Amino acid sequence: MAPQRTKPPTPGKSARSSGPGRLIVAVYAVFAIAATARAGFQIAVGFSHAPVAYSLSAFAAVVYILAAVSLARAGTRWFWTSVAAVGVELAGVLAVGAYSVFRSVPLPDATVWSGFGQGYGYVPLVLPLVGLWWLYHNRAERKH
Amino acid sequence: MDGYFWAVLAVGVASTLVCVAAGAKGYGPNDITILSVAAVELTLLVYLGGSIVSAVAGGGPAGPAWEFWGYLLTALVIPFAAVYWSLLERSRWSNFVLAAVGLVALVMTARMNQLWYGPDLMNALGWPG
Repeated sequence: MAPQRTKPPTPGKSARSSGPGRLIVAVYAVFAIAATARAGFQIAVGFSHAPVAYSLSAFAAVVYILAAVSLARAGTRWFWTSVAAVGVELAGVLAVGAYSVFRSVPLPDATVWSGFGQGYGYVPLVLPLVGLWWLYHNRAERKH
Repeated sequence: MDGYFWAVLAVGVASTLVCVAAGAKGYGPNDITILSVAAVELTLLVYLGGSIVSAVAGGGPAGPAWEFWGYLLTALVIPFAAVYWSLLERSRWSNFVLAAVGLVALVMTARMNQLWYGPDLMNALGWPG
């Protein structure tokens, strides 16, 4: 990793989407596609079947899109947008995960965040932790 | 699981290993890693061609057709997007982005197999969920 540090980021480009950020943005993009497709499919097939679960799926999709876009962009405003999106993502996966595990009456259909992201290899649980660490690592006052 | 799945498994895992190894060595995206991703794309194109022939011959997906084709078309776009994203910054990390393509293609192909054969046949084959 050390040799990478010597290369200054291109002016006008965000350090957040550089280096390991390339991978983080890419994984967020994949989850944005997956969550959007899932929510779109669920809602198109029958929203009334499980309105709460499908609304949560749609909400998760919006959060992933916002996180992917904001992480890829430079500037303080996008930085805080990322913090908000990734923070909401972490809260969402913990809340929906806990609800789906501990409630006796489960949601009638699964969301991305059910079982702490079990259906997606727990990536939805790990991703916001990595995202928050990465944002902290790239906070504005830090000099590389 | 059909032959397409095993083909994507073999090519996808190989591509992921090649890209992870290149990234671990500190290389940026190069001919080898990009060609390995192209091999994944080619395998998916064969899946597309074979699926079109099978569907025309009368054996369409047992599950929702547009979900199957939606998965397949999305899977076909992902390698292009990954190569584009990786070439914008030719660091070692971009090889890890390319490494993700094989795994994503594998997961999506597993789901496409589920959709193609439907839940009954998948249960008979012992595939969970």
